[in-house]
Formats: sequence, structure tokens, C-alpha cells
Amino acid sequence: MGTRLEIKTRLNRVFREVFEDDSIEIFDAMTAKDIPEWDSLMHIILVVAVEKEFIVRLNAAEVGHLKNVSEMLDLLAERSCRGKQ
Amino acid sequence: MNLIRVVFLFTNYRDIKCDLPAGASFAVVDESITAAVNECVSLWKALRQKSNCHIIQSNVALPYHRVFGNYETAAVWGATHVLRQFNLNLAKALAPGVSLLDMDFLASVYGRRRWHDSRFWYHSKHAFALDATGLVAHQLAKTMGAIKGTAKKCLVLDLDNTLWGGVIADDGLEGIALGHGATGEAFVDFQRYLLKLKERGIILAVCSKNEEDIAKEAFLKHPDMVLKLEDIVVFKANWKDKASNIREIAESLNIGLDSMVFVDDNPAERELVTFSLPMVSVVPMPEDPSDYIDALCSGSYFETVLFSDEDTVRSTYYRSNIERAGFQSQFSDLSDYLRSLNMDMIVGQFDEFHLPRIAQLINKSNQFHLTTTRYTESEIGAIAHDKGRTGLYFKLKDRFGDNGLIAAVILCKQPDASMVIDTWVMSCRVLSRTVEEFICSEIISVARQRKCRKVIGKYIPTAKNKLVADLYGRLHFHRTNETQGTALWELSLKEDSPRYSSFIKKIKFETKTTGGLK
Repeated sequence: MGTRLEIKTRLNRVFREVFEDDSIEIFDAMTAKDIPEWDSLMHIILVVAVEKEFIVRLNAAEVGHLKNVSEMLDLLAERSCRGKQ
Repeated sequence: MNLIRVVFLFTNYRDIKCDLPAGASFAVVDESITAAVNECVSLWKALRQKSNCHIIQSNVALPYHRVFGNYETAAVWGATHVLRQFNLNLAKALAPGVSLLDMDFLASVYGRRRWHDSRFWYHSKHAFALDATGLVAHQLAKTMGAIKGTAKKCLVLDLDNTLWGGVIADDGLEGIALGHGATGEAFVDFQRYLLKLKERGIILAVCSKNEEDIAKEAFLKHPDMVLKLEDIVVFKANWKDKASNIREIAESLNIGLDSMVFVDDNPAERELVTFSLPMVSVVPMPEDPSDYIDALCSGSYFETVLFSDEDTVRSTYYRSNIERAGFQSQFSDLSDYLRSLNMDMIVGQFDEFHLPRIAQLINKSNQFHLTTTRYTESEIGAIAHDKGRTGLYFKLKDRFGDNGLIAAVILCKQPDASMVIDTWVMSCRVLSRTVEEFICSEIISVARQRKCRKVIGKYIPTAKNKLVADLYGRLHFHRTNETQGTALWELSLKEDSPRYSSFIKKIKFETKTTGGLK
């Protein structure tokens, strides 16, 4: 799946598409508070879009616990390692 | 724009409290299902007491998880069996003003295993996969459209490579693919589907680039043709462009272009119609005739929330109309023609029996509709019981047959003793036959019986109802004023009413069936 930076670039693209805002620049500490449209429904839309982009399936706990961008990146990096085994 | 208020009740299987022990008796199962259905019914009643909204109730999408596996459907107490039965009983319990959204069908279309994404249920109580939202929204929109009366009425069909394989003028009667072989069977099945549409009230028309005789030969002589000439209300086989032909078909049927659906295998023809008549729905036909029915189904063009006896005979009405036009050409004088039609009218007050058709007429009419009102079945039911309002329906017969229930009027008596025509809708297939004059006389007579001093007609202009802009003028009403785009017309009842010339005989006044409405 690539380096953390590559993952971040792809994740940034997903954010821009989901929130329909090309000015979004994600950062590690970013949370739902930083994007006004990021409510509970958008969270699910975001999760589904992330799943499609990275061809992963997140479990129920992960869906609920992706508090910030850093956690998402960690999770995607971890999944990408698992995927290569 | 007219707004309809809709409450959407979305139920999923977890809401249905029918958890029965394995081996439970039929009586216990039945009681449990009845209780679950009654819970829905009382919710509808409670909602309806508070508002006149239309309710769309979903049935339940069956779960993917089964404790007893395949056997769960066979056993009457099995969860799968019970939920299926719940869905069926729910459908039986539907009341006027409540429509069903078949969620279980949508789940099966989407794929039941993908439909249930438990993660999102646990996380945020989303009952089905996010990606199925489009499918649900599409069906919901089409159902609301059906309630509002935007469903299509007429299907315009090409012939070569649409109803049969090959080109009849080149390949000949024996050479076209119809009946035999895989392709031939697909075309027969497509025709069977079209015939079913015709039987439920969709008007079929033909629009083909062909010599008429050759085109008709297939209908008359090919043993595997399912559709017969009498199933086709308007038959256009000529060399004119299809857009002009479709326009003529709409005119001869007196229906709007936006209620037509066009089916043609040729992308160039589809492109032309899309470009010149953007209001016509053009079906994106697949290349393989095996997929033709799918293409028609997935467009959901003909959604409906009710069905009336009128639907089954609609094609006959339109065919008789075309015969009438032929008959009319024998007369030089219009009144001779109208007199010879031997028209008889039945007038009645709104009742349960005619409710579906009245609702259909009010909600589907656009051209002959003075005030753009839309009423749900339950609202119309309420009018039947309202002392301040009178609902009248009109059924017309003539020498060519029964025209069915062709007009409805809702009158509201005001405190100042004026009778306001709240709604006046009429099927355009009976235009120019002095039906308007007849109905107006009836309105006046009701107003007089109710001791009114005047009748007030309203006209709210829309893009589609220019036809009736001067209706009240023609009926000798006086234009009083105009407020917010609504033209008001008045007819005083102090002096003698105008004598309209109508060639229609009133044969009876059907009275309200007692106790029919709940």
C-alpha cells in the first residue's frame, strides 16, 4: 500500500471528495471538529469511501474509533502490512 | 408547485417482535404476527389523526442470518417464515393513504448478504449498507412520484429489432427472429411483458420507419406475435422523423409528452428523440434483447400506488376514441355528431367504491385541472363525509362504449353562501363533447340545492393547464379579480342560470352507499 506519506496523499484525496472541498489539507491531529460537515452520517460515508480507496474492511470498533487522522493513517498502514503477508 | 406531505416509516426486522419458540403452533404464530401488524396499523391511525400526510410504510428486509438455515422458511414458526408472513399480512392491512415500500425486494435486488452490514447497525443503527442508499432513494422517489401522479401513461414502441429480431421489410415474415431460437424467445417474452403492461392500463403505441402494410403484416400473420393490432392504440409506420410521430401520437391521445416512454433499439433514434423531445422518457436499451425487460423495469417508469378497474380497460377507451373520430368525419355538423353519440352520464357522490379512480384522476390530471389540487385517497374519503363539501364524480357512456369515470368535482360551501369549485378535473379523452357544460349545470344545481347565492370558479395557471384558462369564460362566468396568479370567476345564482347546450342525458344520480366509508 505504500509509505505513510503515500497513504496520507490518498487519504487527503478521499477527504476532498467526500466533503466536496478541494482546499482540505489533512494533518495528524485533525478530528471531526476541524471539518464542520464531519457529522455521524458523514463519518460513515467517509469510512465507506476509505474502505473503497484502500480496499480494506474496517471492523465495527474501528469504524467508531477513528478519532483523528493520525489513527486512520496508523490503521491503514497496519492493514497495508497485513495485506502484504 | 404542489407539495405532498409524506411520512416514511422504515421498519427493519429487529423491530418485529415475533420471536417464537421452535415448534410453536400455527395459532400462536398467527397471533404474534397479527399483533405486530396491528402495531403498525395503530401507528398509521395515530399519525392520520394528527395530519393528512401520506404514509409510506416499508416492509422488512429479511435477515441474512438464519438459526435453522434453509429449514427456517419451511417451519411456520421459523423466523424467515414468520417475517415473510408479516410482510404479506402488512400488505393486506394497508389502508387508504398508506403505501407500501417493498424493502425486501430492494434487499434481494441489491444482494441480501451485502445489504446487511452489521457494522453500521452496531455503530450507528444504519439498517442497511450505505451503498444501497441510492437504490432505496430511487424507489422512494418513484413511489412519491406515483402518489403525486407523475407516472408515465404511454409506451411508444419501435418494431424492427425491438419487437422482433431483424428487419421485416428485408427479411420477410418468415425471416424475422421471433418465437424460435434464443433471440426469438427473448422477443416473445418482451412482447408478453408489454402485453401485461397494456393489461394494467399502459397505452401501447407503435412508431416505426416502415411501410404500414408490411409492418402490420407481422401483427396479422406471424404465429408467434404476442401483441395483436388491437393492443396498439396508435400505429405509426411511415418515413417521418420519430419526434414528429411521437408528438402526433401524444396529440391524438390527448396526453402530455412527459407521460410518454420511448423504446427503440436504434441509438440514433433515441438520440434524436432525447434531443428534440427532452420531456419524453427514452429507455436506454441494451444490445441484447434478453435484457430488454430489465431495461424497462429498472427505469421504474410505471410505478403506481393504486389500481382501479378503469386501468384494465383504458386501451379500449382510447381505441373507441379513435373510432369516434372516424365516425365524426361522416358528419358535417358537430351537433348532429354529438347527438348521434347517444351520450349518457351517471353522476354520483364520492364513495368508497370509486375512491381509487377519483384519487387517480385528481392526482394524474394536469391539462384539464383548474386548481392543481392533489388529494390522497384518505383526504378524498374525508370529503365524502364533510357536510361543508360535496364531491361529485361523472361516468360517461356512449354508442361506442363506456368511457368510465371521466371527471370529478369538489365543491366547498363558504360561510358567505358562495359555492367554490375547489377542484375540477376531467379526462382529456372526453374533450369537446359538451361534458364541461353538463358538469357545470350539475354544479349549479348542487349550489342551488345548498342555498348558495353564487358559484366561484378558480383558475391557477400552470405550464400544462392552458387548455382550461378560459373555461369559466366559456361557461358565462364573470371574471372578478386575480390574486397571486389565481384568476377568480363568478356566476350569480340570483337570476336564471345560463342555458348550456349539452348533448348528454343524465341517467341517474348514484347516492352515497351508506356505511361504505370508514
